[in-house]
Amino acid sequence: MADFIKHPVVELPDRKPEPVFGPDELVFSEDEKAQVKTWISRYPTADGAIMRGLWLAQEKFGFLPPEVIQLVADEIGIPYANAYGVATFYTQYFKEKKGTYVLDVCTCFSCQLCGGFDMLHYLEEKLGVHKGETTPDGDFTIQEAECLGACGSAPMLQITNGPFVHNLTEEKIDALVDALREGQMPAFTSVTLPQDEDELGGNRRTDVSATDTYSVRPVSETVR
Amino acid sequence: MSKAGDWRNYQRVLLPPVKDLHKLEVYEANEGYAALRDVVTTDKWDPTSVTNEVKKSGLKGRGGAGFPTGLKWSFMPPVDPDIPRFLCCNGDESEPGTFKDRQLMEYNPHLVFEGMLIAAYAMSIKTTFLYIRGEFADWITLMEKELEKAYEKGFVGKNIMGSDFSCDIVIHKGAGAYICGEESSLMNSLEGKRAYPRIKPPFPAQKGVWGYPTTINNVETLACAPLIIRKGGEWFSGIGSEKHPGPVLYGISGHVNRPGVYEFPTGMLITDLIEEVAGGMRGGKQLKALIPGGSSTPILRADMIEGVTMDADSLREAGSMMGTSGMLIMDEDTDIVSWLRRITHFYHHESCGQCTPCREGTGWLENIVTRLDEGEGNLRDLDLLIDLCSQMEGRTVCALADAAAWPVRYTIDRFRSEFEGKCKKPSPVASAELATA
Ligand SMILES: Cc1cc2nc3c(=O)[nH]c(=O)nc-3n(C[C@H](O)[C@H](O)[C@H](O)COP(=O)(O)O)c2cc1C
Ligand code: SF4
Ligand code: FES
Repeated sequence: MADFIKHPVVELPDRKPEPVFGPDELVFSEDEKAQVKTWISRYPTADGAIMRGLWLAQEKFGFLPPEVIQLVADEIGIPYANAYGVATFYTQYFKEKKGTYVLDVCTCFSCQLCGGFDMLHYLEEKLGVHKGETTPDGDFTIQEAECLGACGSAPMLQITNGPFVHNLTEEKIDALVDALREGQMPAFTSVTLPQDEDELGGNRRTDVSATDTYSVRPVSETVR
Repeated sequence: MSKAGDWRNYQRVLLPPVKDLHKLEVYEANEGYAALRDVVTTDKWDPTSVTNEVKKSGLKGRGGAGFPTGLKWSFMPPVDPDIPRFLCCNGDESEPGTFKDRQLMEYNPHLVFEGMLIAAYAMSIKTTFLYIRGEFADWITLMEKELEKAYEKGFVGKNIMGSDFSCDIVIHKGAGAYICGEESSLMNSLEGKRAYPRIKPPFPAQKGVWGYPTTINNVETLACAPLIIRKGGEWFSGIGSEKHPGPVLYGISGHVNRPGVYEFPTGMLITDLIEEVAGGMRGGKQLKALIPGGSSTPILRADMIEGVTMDADSLREAGSMMGTSGMLIMDEDTDIVSWLRRITHFYHHESCGQCTPCREGTGWLENIVTRLDEGEGNLRDLDLLIDLCSQMEGRTVCALADAAAWPVRYTIDRFRSEFEGKCKKPSPVASAELATA
């Protein structure tokens, strides 16, 4: 065999890694099975439910090692290879274990010009790890994200595929990290439309506890 | 000249100033679902007349390409009771600089549902999918809650409002991939496949999701449908620019005092949007450049925007496109080369990898722009980049390769001196040798 086949330049993933979850953990509850059934019924073929199935599994197990993907594939009734193909296509499906909180800092486009990299670097320094890494205590993983669709309230970040935190500043990051260490997830924040500020005197929703406004940080605060 | 008329007194219609409009009760109390009721329960409308009204309105897609919506609907083949047909509402909203659909879904979700149902009626569709990017998890939860209420009220599902029209809405949650916004990729994603774009033709109207006739429209596009039915195509076509009419959500971000999502007519002067609407440049700085409609639309230098309005014709003349009307405003201190570097990274990251020119090309664009940004580039790299763009454009399955090439091509074209300024200077010895050789 050619040398490079025996010693590939890029390390290939272990095809059959040691399972993380044992057989007794690897089960869906009756309720979860019912959810999967509902999703299957909404699409012309069962395949359509795979993305919801993977989301369900990720919420339950935290990430998607091969045995979890297998579990989802079996529950939906599709080949493992199809489920694996889908799981590996999307960035939000975690293929390896992450920290309790995954902080996705947007540094794309508008966020870049409004201090996104400053925020990323501040967070890296604060937590002592680089982007893509998890803190030794397993609390935080920092990631660099592509545009998350909140460019007007740049710079921003998302916590573990959930809440957005808008208009980031160093103080805001300090407070956020403290709160998360206490196990407190920030509430959903509704960003007030400037025209609503003018015409309604503030946010139009009365059913949200947290609001923020579209704003921009002063010139001096951002490095480009 | 502005084509937006008396925009300072414009009354919003997509996001009218009503508290808690996202709640079904409030929406109903404000003429909500009246258009749908008219369409499905009275003899005033049939599928053809709804489509014709949308054609008359002149509505053009708000998802990026600006294709006439009524015309797109009329591409659906004649109804065959044995063949299912589908509608997909595109809420993937991943184009950098675009954040309007998120706000529309949060603040007026029922307008989106009503629009989907009217479109479904016009094309005799019984199943519709609302594809929302996975990052909008909180907004998906909100939409699901409101959708459930609409189902309970009998506005969605079997025999809507007691008529013989039945239609379901399924909310599909994405999981983080820009490419899923491309319509054929979105279809594969729905089908539970890897979201690779498909070769066209066949077009979705012939062979769409699960191989059946399908129409795909953007969230904001469909949200216009109930307004058109309620107030008439003529009313709609009278708003803003004549050839590209209607209300539009401008998402303004970057170095302005008041960024945000603003609803105004099409055809607004860019200078009005920056100076008046968005409160002027941050810190009194000078405008350097702007992107009119998301990362793929060509950059405009400050000296190129005099008299330019936000509509397809005016922006084409100016050398750009309307795109998603997500505008990024950059001030005089912006490092254009560093900015371009991050954008090339984005496209490299998001290329699905199916086509060689895109998979390899986006990587090389990033490599070379990075080299330039680090001060390690040579002048000839600029020509190499332009050549690379030519090798990518129009040679791939989907338009992502073009979308990746345009920012590079136009930014170099319009800011060449900045790139040259970052290139390595030829050493004096080498130039002297060259001169004597
Ligand atoms: C790479 C790529 C990404 C796209 N992303 C989006 C998107 O996020 N949202 C969207 O509505 N359209 C997106 N589009 C455009 C869609 O393919 C499609 O044209 C649009 O949804 C049609 O809707 P409209 O006619 O209402 O504009 C994208 C296109 C390409 C080529
Ligand atoms: S152009 Fe790029 S993103 Fe589009 S199909 Fe080809 S490789 Fe995929
Ligand atoms: S650029 Fe950061 S959210 Fe869009």
